[in-house]
Amino acid sequence: MVMKTTEKILLNYDPEKENLLPVLKEISSFFGFISEKNAQKIADYFSLSLSQIFETASFYDFLKVKNSPQIFIKICSGTVCATIGTRKIIKEIENKLKIKIGDDFNPRIKLETASCLGHCGEGPIVIVNGQVYKKVTVSSIHEILEKYV
Amino acid sequence: MKKNIKIITKHWGKINPLRIEEYLKEGGYKALEKFIFQMRPEEAIQEIEASNLCGRGGAGFPTGKKLKMVAERKEKEKYFICNLDESEPGTYKDRMIVKNNPQLLLEGLIISALTVGASKAFIYLNGNYEEEKYILEKALAQAEKEKFLGEKILSSGYNLELKLFFGAGAYICGEETALINSIEGKRGEPRMRPPYPTEKGLWEKPTAVNNAETIANIPWIILEGGKKFATIGAECSPGTKLYILSGAINNPGVFEAPTGITVRQLIKEIGGGIPKGKKFWFAQIGGASGVLAIGKDLDAELTFSKNCLIPLGSGSVLVIDKSVEIYDLLFSWSDFFRRESCGKCLPCREGTFRLNEIIQRFEDGKISQRDKKALGQILWSLENTAFCPFGKFVAKPFQDALEKLDIFKNV
Repeated sequence: MVMKTTEKILLNYDPEKENLLPVLKEISSFFGFISEKNAQKIADYFSLSLSQIFETASFYDFLKVKNSPQIFIKICSGTVCATIGTRKIIKEIENKLKIKIGDDFNPRIKLETASCLGHCGEGPIVIVNGQVYKKVTVSSIHEILEKYV
Repeated sequence: MKKNIKIITKHWGKINPLRIEEYLKEGGYKALEKFIFQMRPEEAIQEIEASNLCGRGGAGFPTGKKLKMVAERKEKEKYFICNLDESEPGTYKDRMIVKNNPQLLLEGLIISALTVGASKAFIYLNGNYEEEKYILEKALAQAEKEKFLGEKILSSGYNLELKLFFGAGAYICGEETALINSIEGKRGEPRMRPPYPTEKGLWEKPTAVNNAETIANIPWIILEGGKKFATIGAECSPGTKLYILSGAINNPGVFEAPTGITVRQLIKEIGGGIPKGKKFWFAQIGGASGVLAIGKDLDAELTFSKNCLIPLGSGSVLVIDKSVEIYDLLFSWSDFFRRESCGKCLPCREGTFRLNEIIQRFEDGKISQRDKKALGQILWSLENTAFCPFGKFVAKPFQDALEKLDIFKNV
Protein backbone atom coordinates (compact mmCIF):
# COMPACT_ATOMS: atom_id res chain seq x y z
CA MET A 1 0.00 0.00 0.00
CA VAL A 2 1.26 3.43 -0.90
CA MET A 3 1.44 5.80 2.04
CA LYS A 4 -1.14 8.54 1.79
CA THR A 5 0.19 11.94 2.65
CA THR A 6 -1.50 15.25 3.15
CA GLU A 7 -0.23 16.40 -0.23
CA LYS A 8 -1.68 13.38 -1.97
CA ILE A 9 -5.09 13.95 -0.40
CA LEU A 10 -4.99 17.62 -1.36
CA LEU A 11 -4.10 16.90 -4.99
CA ASN A 12 -7.30 14.87 -5.40
CA TYR A 13 -9.27 18.09 -5.08
CA ASP A 14 -9.32 21.38 -6.97
CA PRO A 15 -8.46 24.32 -4.72
CA GLU A 16 -12.03 25.65 -4.85
CA LYS A 17 -13.77 26.65 -1.66
CA GLU A 18 -16.57 24.12 -2.08
CA ASN A 19 -13.93 21.40 -1.69
CA LEU A 20 -12.65 22.74 1.64
CA LEU A 21 -15.08 20.81 3.82
CA PRO A 22 -14.54 17.48 1.98
CA VAL A 23 -10.74 17.94 2.29
CA LEU A 24 -10.95 18.73 6.01
CA LYS A 25 -13.13 15.67 6.52
CA GLU A 26 -10.77 13.37 4.70
CA ILE A 27 -7.70 14.64 6.54
CA SER A 28 -9.45 14.54 9.90
CA SER A 29 -10.60 10.95 9.44
CA PHE A 30 -7.26 9.80 7.99
CA PHE A 31 -5.00 11.29 10.66
CA GLY A 32 -7.59 11.23 13.46
CA PHE A 33 -7.46 15.01 13.74
CA ILE A 34 -6.30 18.13 11.88
CA SER A 35 -2.88 19.17 13.19
CA GLU A 36 -1.60 22.71 12.86
CA LYS A 37 1.00 21.54 10.36
CA ASN A 38 -1.64 19.97 8.15
CA ALA A 39 -3.95 22.96 8.58
CA GLN A 40 -1.14 25.21 7.29
CA LYS A 41 -0.73 22.99 4.21
CA ILE A 42 -4.50 23.14 3.56
CA ALA A 43 -4.45 26.91 4.04
CA ASP A 44 -1.65 27.31 1.51
CA TYR A 45 -3.36 25.04 -0.99
CA PHE A 46 -6.67 26.92 -0.83
CA SER A 47 -5.00 30.36 -0.49
CA LEU A 48 -6.72 30.96 2.82
CA SER A 49 -5.36 31.99 6.20
CA LEU A 50 -4.66 29.47 8.95
CA SER A 51 -7.35 31.02 11.13
CA GLN A 52 -9.95 30.54 8.39
CA ILE A 53 -9.13 26.83 8.33
CA PHE A 54 -9.56 26.50 12.10
CA GLU A 55 -12.67 28.68 11.98
CA THR A 56 -14.36 26.07 9.83
CA ALA A 57 -12.70 23.01 11.37
CA SER A 58 -13.71 23.82 14.93
CA PHE A 59 -17.40 24.05 14.02
CA TYR A 60 -18.30 20.60 12.75
CA ASP A 61 -18.77 17.42 14.76
CA PHE A 62 -16.93 15.28 12.23
CA LEU A 63 -13.81 17.43 12.25
CA LYS A 64 -11.38 17.13 15.15
CA VAL A 65 -8.69 19.66 15.91
CA LYS A 66 -7.36 17.72 18.90
CA ASN A 67 -6.11 14.16 19.03
CA SER A 68 -9.02 11.97 20.05
CA PRO A 69 -8.90 9.82 23.22
CA GLN A 70 -8.25 6.08 23.14
CA ILE A 71 -11.76 5.20 24.15
CA PHE A 72 -14.42 7.44 22.65
CA ILE A 73 -17.97 6.63 23.67
CA LYS A 74 -20.93 8.31 22.02
CA ILE A 75 -24.49 7.77 23.19
CA CYS A 76 -27.59 8.84 21.30
CA SER A 77 -29.78 11.26 23.25
CA GLY A 78 -32.41 11.75 20.55
CA THR A 79 -35.99 11.82 21.75
CA VAL A 80 -36.76 8.20 20.87
CA CYS A 81 -33.64 6.77 22.56
CA ALA A 82 -34.16 9.09 25.53
CA THR A 83 -37.61 7.68 26.24
CA ILE A 84 -36.20 4.15 26.48
CA GLY A 85 -33.31 4.63 28.86
CA THR A 86 -30.41 6.80 27.58
CA ARG A 87 -30.20 8.68 30.87
CA LYS A 88 -29.86 5.52 32.98
CA ILE A 89 -27.14 4.18 30.69
CA ILE A 90 -25.22 7.45 30.94
CA LYS A 91 -25.35 7.25 34.75
CA GLU A 92 -24.14 3.65 34.55
CA ILE A 93 -21.17 4.54 32.32
CA GLU A 94 -20.30 7.56 34.45
CA ASN A 95 -20.25 5.47 37.61
CA LYS A 96 -18.34 2.59 36.09
CA LEU A 97 -15.61 4.60 34.36
CA LYS A 98 -15.59 7.47 36.90
CA ILE A 99 -16.01 10.12 34.23
CA LYS A 100 -18.56 12.86 33.63
CA ILE A 101 -20.38 13.27 30.36
CA GLY A 102 -18.88 15.89 28.07
CA ASP A 103 -15.74 16.79 30.05
CA ASP A 104 -12.07 16.40 29.12
CA PHE A 105 -10.55 15.57 32.53
CA ASN A 106 -9.69 12.00 31.64
CA PRO A 107 -7.31 12.10 28.67
CA ARG A 108 -7.89 8.42 27.88
CA ILE A 109 -11.68 8.13 27.94
CA LYS A 110 -14.32 10.51 26.65
CA LEU A 111 -18.11 10.21 26.84
CA GLU A 112 -20.32 12.38 24.67
CA THR A 113 -23.98 12.57 23.74
CA ALA A 114 -24.79 12.49 20.03
CA SER A 115 -27.80 13.69 18.11
CA CYS A 116 -30.23 11.28 16.55
CA LEU A 117 -28.31 8.72 14.52
CA GLY A 118 -31.31 7.51 12.54
CA HIS A 119 -31.59 4.07 14.15
CA CYS A 120 -34.70 5.09 16.08
CA GLY A 121 -36.29 1.64 15.88
CA GLU A 122 -33.32 -0.07 17.54
CA GLY A 123 -32.33 2.24 20.38
CA PRO A 124 -30.79 3.07 22.75
CA ILE A 125 -27.66 3.40 20.59
CA VAL A 126 -24.12 3.47 21.95
CA ILE A 127 -21.06 3.92 19.71
CA VAL A 128 -17.64 3.00 21.06
CA ASN A 129 -14.70 3.88 18.79
CA GLY A 130 -16.95 3.75 15.74
CA GLN A 131 -18.54 0.39 16.59
CA VAL A 132 -22.34 0.71 16.82
CA TYR A 133 -24.19 -1.14 19.59
CA LYS A 134 -27.98 -1.31 19.32
CA LYS A 135 -30.66 -1.97 21.96
CA VAL A 136 -28.20 -1.36 24.79
CA THR A 137 -29.46 -1.94 28.32
CA VAL A 138 -28.18 -1.00 31.77
CA SER A 139 -26.72 -4.51 32.13
CA SER A 140 -25.40 -5.06 28.61
CA ILE A 141 -23.40 -1.82 28.73
CA HIS A 142 -21.04 -3.45 31.25
CA GLU A 143 -20.17 -6.26 28.82
CA ILE A 144 -19.59 -3.73 26.04
CA LEU A 145 -17.27 -1.58 28.14
CA GLU A 146 -15.28 -4.63 29.39
CA LYS A 147 -14.04 -5.11 25.82
CA TYR A 148 -12.35 -1.73 25.78
CA VAL A 149 -11.29 -0.92 29.35
CA MET B 1 -60.55 12.34 0.93
CA LYS B 2 -58.64 9.85 -1.19
CA LYS B 3 -56.68 7.94 1.39
CA ASN B 4 -54.80 5.47 -0.71
CA ILE B 5 -53.15 7.78 -3.16
CA LYS B 6 -49.40 7.18 -3.35
CA ILE B 7 -47.09 9.69 -4.95
CA ILE B 8 -43.71 9.13 -3.36
CA THR B 9 -44.03 5.60 -2.02
CA LYS B 10 -45.64 4.16 -5.18
CA HIS B 11 -42.65 2.02 -6.18
CA TRP B 12 -41.19 1.39 -2.72
CA GLY B 13 -40.24 -2.22 -2.22
CA LYS B 14 -41.15 -3.08 -5.81
CA ILE B 15 -38.03 -1.88 -7.55
CA ASN B 16 -34.34 -2.33 -6.86
CA PRO B 17 -32.98 1.12 -5.90
CA LEU B 18 -29.59 0.28 -7.40
CA ARG B 19 -30.94 -0.41 -10.90
CA ILE B 20 -32.23 2.44 -13.04
CA GLU B 21 -33.73 -0.05 -15.54
CA GLU B 22 -36.40 -1.10 -13.07
CA TYR B 23 -37.44 2.50 -12.46
CA LEU B 24 -37.55 3.12 -16.22
CA LYS B 25 -39.74 0.06 -16.69
CA GLU B 26 -42.23 1.48 -14.17
CA GLY B 27 -42.53 4.68 -16.22
CA GLY B 28 -39.64 6.57 -14.66
CA TYR B 29 -38.22 9.71 -16.28
CA LYS B 30 -41.43 10.17 -18.32
CA ALA B 31 -41.91 13.46 -16.49
CA LEU B 32 -38.45 14.65 -17.48
CA GLU B 33 -39.16 13.74 -21.13
CA LYS B 34 -42.47 15.59 -20.98
CA PHE B 35 -40.78 18.62 -19.45
CA ILE B 36 -37.99 18.72 -22.02
CA PHE B 37 -39.97 18.03 -25.18
CA GLN B 38 -43.43 19.47 -24.46
CA MET B 39 -43.03 22.25 -21.93
CA ARG B 40 -41.29 25.56 -21.46
CA PRO B 41 -39.78 26.19 -18.01
CA GLU B 42 -42.42 28.87 -17.28
CA GLU B 43 -45.18 26.38 -17.99
CA ALA B 44 -43.66 23.88 -15.58
CA ILE B 45 -43.46 26.53 -12.87
CA GLN B 46 -47.09 27.49 -13.55
CA GLU B 47 -48.01 23.84 -13.12
CA ILE B 48 -46.13 23.66 -9.80
CA GLU B 49 -47.74 26.92 -8.65
CA ALA B 50 -51.18 25.58 -9.51
CA SER B 51 -50.47 22.47 -7.44
CA ASN B 52 -50.03 24.68 -4.35
CA LEU B 53 -47.19 22.39 -3.26
CA CYS B 54 -45.43 23.74 -0.20
CA GLY B 55 -42.03 22.93 1.28
CA ARG B 56 -41.92 19.63 3.12
CA GLY B 57 -38.94 20.47 5.31
CA GLY B 58 -41.20 22.03 7.91
CA ALA B 59 -41.57 25.72 7.07
CA GLY B 60 -44.11 25.13 4.30
CA PHE B 61 -43.04 27.91 1.92
CA PRO B 62 -44.87 27.60 -1.47
CA THR B 63 -42.48 25.77 -3.80
CA GLY B 64 -43.82 27.29 -7.02
CA LYS B 65 -43.27 30.79 -5.66
CA LYS B 66 -39.69 30.00 -4.66
CA LEU B 67 -38.85 28.50 -8.06
CA LYS B 68 -40.44 31.48 -9.80
CA MET B 69 -38.42 33.96 -7.73
CA VAL B 70 -35.17 32.29 -8.78
CA ALA B 71 -36.27 31.73 -12.39
CA GLU B 72 -37.06 35.43 -12.80
CA ARG B 73 -33.59 36.57 -11.71
CA LYS B 74 -31.43 37.88 -14.53
CA GLU B 75 -28.07 36.46 -13.35
CA LYS B 76 -26.44 33.89 -15.59
CA GLU B 77 -25.22 31.64 -12.82
CA LYS B 78 -27.91 30.11 -10.64
CA TYR B 79 -27.87 27.17 -8.28
CA PHE B 80 -30.30 24.56 -7.10
CA ILE B 81 -29.75 22.67 -3.85
CA CYS B 82 -31.56 19.59 -2.60
CA ASN B 83 -31.62 19.68 1.18
CA LEU B 84 -31.01 16.14 2.40
CA ASP B 85 -29.34 17.14 5.65
CA GLU B 86 -32.04 15.43 7.60
CA SER B 87 -31.05 15.58 11.25
CA GLU B 88 -34.23 16.27 13.18
CA PRO B 89 -34.43 13.59 15.89
CA GLY B 90 -36.94 10.89 15.00
CA THR B 91 -37.12 11.91 11.33
CA TYR B 92 -35.84 9.63 8.59
CA LYS B 93 -38.24 10.15 5.67
CA ASP B 94 -35.69 11.55 3.20
CA ARG B 95 -33.36 8.69 3.99
CA MET B 96 -36.17 6.27 3.09
CA ILE B 97 -36.78 8.08 -0.23
CA VAL B 98 -33.11 7.56 -1.15
CA LYS B 99 -33.09 3.99 0.09
CA ASN B 100 -36.20 2.96 -1.82
CA ASN B 101 -36.29 5.09 -4.95
CA PRO B 102 -33.30 7.39 -5.50
CA GLN B 103 -34.14 7.89 -9.19
CA LEU B 104 -37.47 9.55 -8.34
CA LEU B 105 -35.55 12.10 -6.30
CA LEU B 106 -33.04 12.66 -9.11
CA GLU B 107 -35.81 13.09 -11.68
CA GLY B 108 -37.56 15.70 -9.55
CA LEU B 109 -34.25 17.38 -8.84
CA ILE B 110 -33.29 17.60 -12.53
CA ILE B 111 -36.68 19.06 -13.48
CA SER B 112 -36.67 21.61 -10.64
CA ALA B 113 -33.10 22.70 -11.39
CA LEU B 114 -33.87 23.14 -15.10
CA THR B 115 -37.04 25.17 -14.42
CA VAL B 116 -35.07 27.82 -12.55
CA GLY B 117 -32.28 27.78 -15.13
CA ALA B 118 -29.59 26.45 -12.80
CA SER B 119 -26.43 25.13 -14.41
CA LYS B 120 -25.21 23.41 -11.28
CA ALA B 121 -27.14 21.55 -8.62
CA PHE B 122 -26.08 20.10 -5.28
CA ILE B 123 -27.42 17.39 -3.04
CA TYR B 124 -26.47 18.23 0.53
CA LEU B 125 -26.46 14.87 2.27
CA ASN B 126 -26.34 14.32 6.03
CA GLY B 127 -22.80 13.27 7.00
CA ASN B 128 -24.08 10.22 8.90
CA TYR B 129 -25.79 8.72 5.86
CA GLU B 130 -22.99 6.46 4.57
CA GLU B 131 -25.28 3.86 3.02
CA GLU B 132 -27.38 6.50 1.27
CA LYS B 133 -24.21 8.11 -0.07
CA TYR B 134 -23.31 4.85 -1.79
CA ILE B 135 -26.83 4.49 -3.27
CA LEU B 136 -26.89 8.09 -4.51
CA GLU B 137 -23.43 7.84 -6.07
CA LYS B 138 -24.54 4.77 -8.00
CA ALA B 139 -27.85 6.35 -9.00
CA LEU B 140 -26.05 9.47 -10.22
CA ALA B 141 -23.66 7.48 -12.39
CA GLN B 142 -26.54 5.52 -13.92
CA ALA B 143 -28.60 8.64 -14.64
CA GLU B 144 -25.58 10.24 -16.27
CA LYS B 145 -25.07 7.18 -18.45
CA GLU B 146 -28.71 7.35 -19.60
CA LYS B 147 -28.16 11.02 -20.53
CA PHE B 148 -30.55 12.41 -17.94
CA LEU B 149 -27.70 14.46 -16.50
CA GLY B 150 -24.61 16.25 -17.72
CA GLU B 151 -24.34 18.04 -21.04
CA LYS B 152 -27.16 18.01 -23.61
CA ILE B 153 -29.74 16.16 -21.54
CA LEU B 154 -31.67 13.76 -23.84
CA SER B 155 -29.97 15.52 -26.79
CA SER B 156 -31.74 18.81 -25.97
CA GLY B 157 -30.16 22.16 -25.17
CA TYR B 158 -30.31 21.66 -21.41
CA ASN B 159 -27.15 21.12 -19.33
CA LEU B 160 -26.93 20.30 -15.67
CA GLU B 161 -24.02 19.39 -13.44
CA LEU B 162 -25.03 17.59 -10.25
CA LYS B 163 -22.71 17.28 -7.30
CA LEU B 164 -23.09 15.29 -4.12
CA PHE B 165 -22.01 17.27 -1.07
CA PHE B 166 -21.50 15.39 2.17
CA GLY B 167 -22.23 17.22 5.43
CA ALA B 168 -20.03 17.10 8.50
CA GLY B 169 -22.48 16.54 11.32
CA ALA B 170 -24.20 19.78 12.24
CA TYR B 171 -27.95 20.02 12.81
CA ILE B 172 -28.08 23.71 11.97
CA CYS B 173 -26.86 23.00 8.41
CA GLY B 174 -30.44 21.94 7.63
CA GLU B 175 -31.28 25.66 7.74
CA GLU B 176 -30.85 26.89 4.17
CA THR B 177 -28.45 29.79 4.71
CA ALA B 178 -26.29 27.71 7.08
CA LEU B 179 -26.29 24.97 4.47
CA ILE B 180 -25.06 27.41 1.84
CA ASN B 181 -22.28 28.63 4.17
CA SER B 182 -21.28 25.03 4.72
CA ILE B 183 -20.90 24.37 0.98
CA GLU B 184 -18.80 27.53 0.71
CA GLY B 185 -16.41 26.01 3.26
CA LYS B 186 -17.40 28.31 6.11
CA ARG B 187 -18.82 27.64 9.55
CA GLY B 188 -22.39 26.41 9.22
CA GLU B 189 -23.93 29.50 10.77
CA PRO B 190 -27.11 31.08 9.43
CA ARG B 191 -26.92 34.32 7.46
CA MET B 192 -28.81 37.54 7.92
CA ARG B 193 -32.00 37.64 5.87
CA PRO B 194 -32.81 39.54 3.66
CA PRO B 195 -31.19 39.11 1.17
CA TYR B 196 -32.87 35.76 0.81
CA PRO B 197 -31.06 32.87 -0.93
CA THR B 198 -33.40 33.34 -3.88
CA GLU B 199 -31.60 36.69 -4.47
CA LYS B 200 -28.13 36.07 -3.03
CA GLY B 201 -27.44 32.48 -2.11
CA LEU B 202 -24.51 30.26 -2.94
CA TRP B 203 -21.51 32.36 -4.06
CA GLU B 204 -23.86 35.39 -3.89
CA LYS B 205 -25.92 33.99 -6.79
CA PRO B 206 -29.67 33.22 -6.81
CA THR B 207 -30.21 29.81 -5.23
CA ALA B 208 -33.24 27.66 -4.62
CA VAL B 209 -32.98 25.27 -1.67
CA ASN B 210 -35.68 22.61 -1.54
CA ASN B 211 -36.26 19.65 0.73
CA ALA B 212 -35.84 16.18 -0.76
CA GLU B 213 -39.47 15.21 -0.14
CA THR B 214 -40.73 18.36 -1.89
CA ILE B 215 -38.58 17.52 -4.90
CA ALA B 216 -39.87 13.95 -5.01
CA ASN B 217 -43.40 15.33 -5.63
CA ILE B 218 -42.37 17.23 -8.77
CA PRO B 219 -42.42 14.37 -11.36
CA TRP B 220 -46.00 13.48 -10.42
CA ILE B 221 -47.12 17.12 -10.72
CA ILE B 222 -45.53 17.46 -14.16
CA LEU B 223 -47.16 14.25 -15.39
CA GLU B 224 -50.59 14.49 -13.81
CA GLY B 225 -50.98 18.26 -13.62
CA GLY B 226 -50.99 20.72 -10.77
CA LYS B 227 -54.79 20.99 -10.55
CA LYS B 228 -55.11 17.31 -9.76
CA PHE B 229 -52.45 17.60 -7.05
CA ALA B 230 -54.30 20.49 -5.45
CA THR B 231 -57.36 18.30 -4.82
CA ILE B 232 -55.46 15.85 -2.58
CA GLY B 233 -55.51 16.38 1.17
CA ALA B 234 -55.98 19.68 2.99
CA GLU B 235 -56.88 22.72 0.90
CA CYS B 236 -54.28 25.10 2.34
CA SER B 237 -51.34 22.73 1.87
CA PRO B 238 -52.39 19.96 -0.52
CA GLY B 239 -50.69 16.72 -1.42
CA THR B 240 -49.47 13.75 0.50
CA LYS B 241 -46.86 13.70 3.22
CA LEU B 242 -44.52 11.11 4.62
CA TYR B 243 -45.27 10.54 8.29
CA ILE B 244 -42.73 8.94 10.59
CA LEU B 245 -44.36 7.12 13.48
CA SER B 246 -42.30 6.13 16.51
CA GLY B 247 -42.58 5.65 20.24
CA ALA B 248 -45.48 3.78 21.88
CA ILE B 249 -47.12 2.53 18.69
CA ASN B 250 -47.78 -0.88 17.17
CA ASN B 251 -46.37 -0.29 13.67
CA PRO B 252 -43.57 2.23 13.74
CA GLY B 253 -42.14 3.35 10.37
CA VAL B 254 -42.58 5.74 7.45
CA PHE B 255 -46.02 6.00 5.83
CA GLU B 256 -47.51 8.16 3.10
CA ALA B 257 -50.90 9.78 3.71
CA PRO B 258 -52.64 12.99 2.60
CA THR B 259 -52.12 16.20 4.54
CA GLY B 260 -54.98 17.30 6.75
CA ILE B 261 -55.07 13.96 8.54
CA THR B 262 -55.56 14.07 12.31
CA VAL B 263 -53.17 12.69 14.91
CA ARG B 264 -55.86 10.26 16.04
CA GLN B 265 -56.19 8.83 12.51
CA LEU B 266 -52.43 8.52 12.22
CA ILE B 267 -52.08 6.62 15.46
CA LYS B 268 -55.16 4.44 15.09
CA GLU B 269 -55.54 3.74 11.36
CA ILE B 270 -51.95 3.90 10.14
CA GLY B 271 -49.91 3.14 13.23
CA GLY B 272 -52.17 0.31 14.40
CA GLY B 273 -52.89 1.93 17.77
CA ILE B 274 -51.02 1.97 21.03
CA PRO B 275 -49.61 -1.33 22.40
CA LYS B 276 -51.71 -3.11 24.99
CA GLY B 277 -51.17 -2.06 28.56
CA LYS B 278 -49.86 1.38 27.64
CA LYS B 279 -51.78 4.61 28.13
CA PHE B 280 -51.54 7.55 25.75
CA TRP B 281 -50.10 10.68 27.34
CA PHE B 282 -49.18 13.01 24.49
CA ALA B 283 -47.59 13.02 21.05
CA GLN B 284 -44.81 15.26 19.77
CA ILE B 285 -45.33 16.31 16.17
CA GLY B 286 -42.39 17.37 14.01
CA GLY B 287 -39.23 16.23 15.78
CA ALA B 288 -37.46 17.51 18.90
CA SER B 289 -38.59 21.05 18.19
CA GLY B 290 -42.19 20.06 17.53
CA VAL B 291 -45.34 20.97 19.43
CA LEU B 292 -46.98 18.58 21.89
CA ALA B 293 -50.46 17.26 21.13
CA ILE B 294 -52.40 16.16 24.21
CA GLY B 295 -55.78 14.41 24.27
CA LYS B 296 -57.86 17.42 23.20
CA ASP B 297 -55.62 18.19 20.20
CA LEU B 298 -55.91 14.74 18.66
CA ASP B 299 -58.68 15.70 16.25
CA ALA B 300 -56.97 18.81 14.89
CA GLU B 301 -56.00 18.57 11.23
CA LEU B 302 -52.29 18.51 10.50
CA THR B 303 -51.32 21.10 7.85
CA PHE B 304 -48.49 23.51 7.06
CA SER B 305 -50.72 26.55 7.50
CA LYS B 306 -49.43 29.10 10.02
CA ASN B 307 -52.69 29.36 11.91
CA CYS B 308 -53.39 25.68 12.36
CA LEU B 309 -53.36 24.30 15.88
CA ILE B 310 -50.78 21.60 15.30
CA PRO B 311 -48.25 22.41 12.54
CA LEU B 312 -47.03 19.41 10.63
CA GLY B 313 -43.31 20.25 10.71
CA SER B 314 -41.12 17.47 9.43
CA GLY B 315 -43.99 14.98 9.78
CA SER B 316 -42.61 12.87 12.59
CA VAL B 317 -45.01 11.68 15.27
CA LEU B 318 -43.52 10.46 18.55
CA VAL B 319 -46.15 8.87 20.77
CA ILE B 320 -45.41 9.11 24.49
CA ASP B 321 -47.20 6.86 26.94
CA LYS B 322 -47.65 7.42 30.66
CA SER B 323 -44.75 5.14 31.64
CA VAL B 324 -42.20 7.61 30.22
CA GLU B 325 -40.53 9.95 32.69
CA ILE B 326 -40.76 13.56 31.61
CA TYR B 327 -37.15 14.19 32.72
CA ASP B 328 -35.94 11.84 30.02
CA LEU B 329 -37.58 13.94 27.33
CA LEU B 330 -36.61 17.29 28.83
CA PHE B 331 -33.05 16.04 29.09
CA SER B 332 -33.08 14.87 25.48
CA TRP B 333 -34.39 18.18 24.17
CA SER B 334 -32.19 20.48 26.23
CA ASP B 335 -29.06 18.39 25.67
CA PHE B 336 -29.72 18.25 21.95
CA PHE B 337 -30.32 21.99 21.60
CA ARG B 338 -27.33 22.92 23.77
CA ARG B 339 -25.06 20.77 21.63
CA GLU B 340 -26.44 21.89 18.28
CA SER B 341 -26.76 25.63 18.93
CA CYS B 342 -24.21 27.15 16.57
CA GLY B 343 -23.16 29.90 18.97
CA LYS B 344 -23.65 32.82 16.62
CA CYS B 345 -26.20 34.74 18.71
CA LEU B 346 -26.23 35.18 22.47
CA PRO B 347 -29.87 34.29 23.30
CA CYS B 348 -29.47 30.86 21.77
CA ARG B 349 -25.89 30.12 22.84
CA GLU B 350 -26.46 31.06 26.49
CA GLY B 351 -30.16 30.24 26.63
CA THR B 352 -29.80 26.62 25.58
CA PHE B 353 -26.91 26.18 28.04
CA ARG B 354 -28.88 27.60 30.99
CA LEU B 355 -31.93 25.61 29.95
CA ASN B 356 -29.87 22.44 30.15
CA GLU B 357 -28.57 23.40 33.62
CA ILE B 358 -32.07 24.09 34.92
CA ILE B 359 -33.33 20.77 33.57
CA GLN B 360 -30.49 18.97 35.34
CA ARG B 361 -31.39 20.68 38.59
CA PHE B 362 -35.04 19.79 37.99
CA GLU B 363 -34.04 16.16 37.63
CA ASP B 364 -32.11 16.21 40.89
CA GLY B 365 -35.12 17.81 42.61
CA LYS B 366 -33.20 20.98 43.42
CA ILE B 367 -35.23 23.41 41.35
CA SER B 368 -35.99 26.75 43.02
CA GLN B 369 -38.52 29.54 42.50
CA ARG B 370 -35.74 31.53 40.85
CA ASP B 371 -35.17 28.76 38.30
CA LYS B 372 -38.85 28.68 37.42
CA LYS B 373 -38.86 32.43 36.82
CA ALA B 374 -35.62 32.23 34.84
CA LEU B 375 -37.03 29.45 32.70
CA GLY B 376 -39.89 31.68 31.61
CA GLN B 377 -37.50 34.51 30.76
CA ILE B 378 -35.13 32.25 28.82
CA LEU B 379 -37.97 30.83 26.76
CA TRP B 380 -39.29 34.31 26.03
CA SER B 381 -35.92 35.60 24.86
CA LEU B 382 -35.29 32.49 22.79
CA GLU B 383 -38.59 32.88 21.02
CA ASN B 384 -38.38 36.61 20.44
CA THR B 385 -34.73 37.54 20.08
CA ALA B 386 -32.87 34.56 18.56
CA PHE B 387 -31.18 35.21 15.20
CA CYS B 388 -32.59 32.26 13.26
CA PRO B 389 -35.65 29.98 13.59
CA PHE B 390 -33.64 27.53 15.70
CA GLY B 391 -34.26 29.65 18.82
CA LYS B 392 -38.00 29.64 18.29
CA PHE B 393 -37.94 25.89 17.80
CA VAL B 394 -36.06 25.42 21.09
CA ALA B 395 -38.70 27.30 23.05
CA LYS B 396 -41.71 25.50 21.56
CA PRO B 397 -41.59 22.05 23.24
CA PHE B 398 -40.67 23.54 26.63
CA GLN B 399 -43.50 26.06 26.47
CA ASP B 400 -45.90 23.29 25.55
CA ALA B 401 -44.58 21.10 28.35
CA LEU B 402 -45.13 23.93 30.83
CA GLU B 403 -48.60 24.84 29.58
CA LYS B 404 -50.12 21.55 28.52
CA LEU B 405 -48.42 19.06 30.82
CA ASP B 406 -47.91 21.33 33.83
CA ILE B 407 -44.60 19.66 34.70
CA PHE B 408 -43.92 21.87 37.71
CA LYS B 409 -47.15 20.90 39.45
CA ASN B 410 -45.42 18.93 42.20
CA VAL B 411 -42.35 21.12 42.63
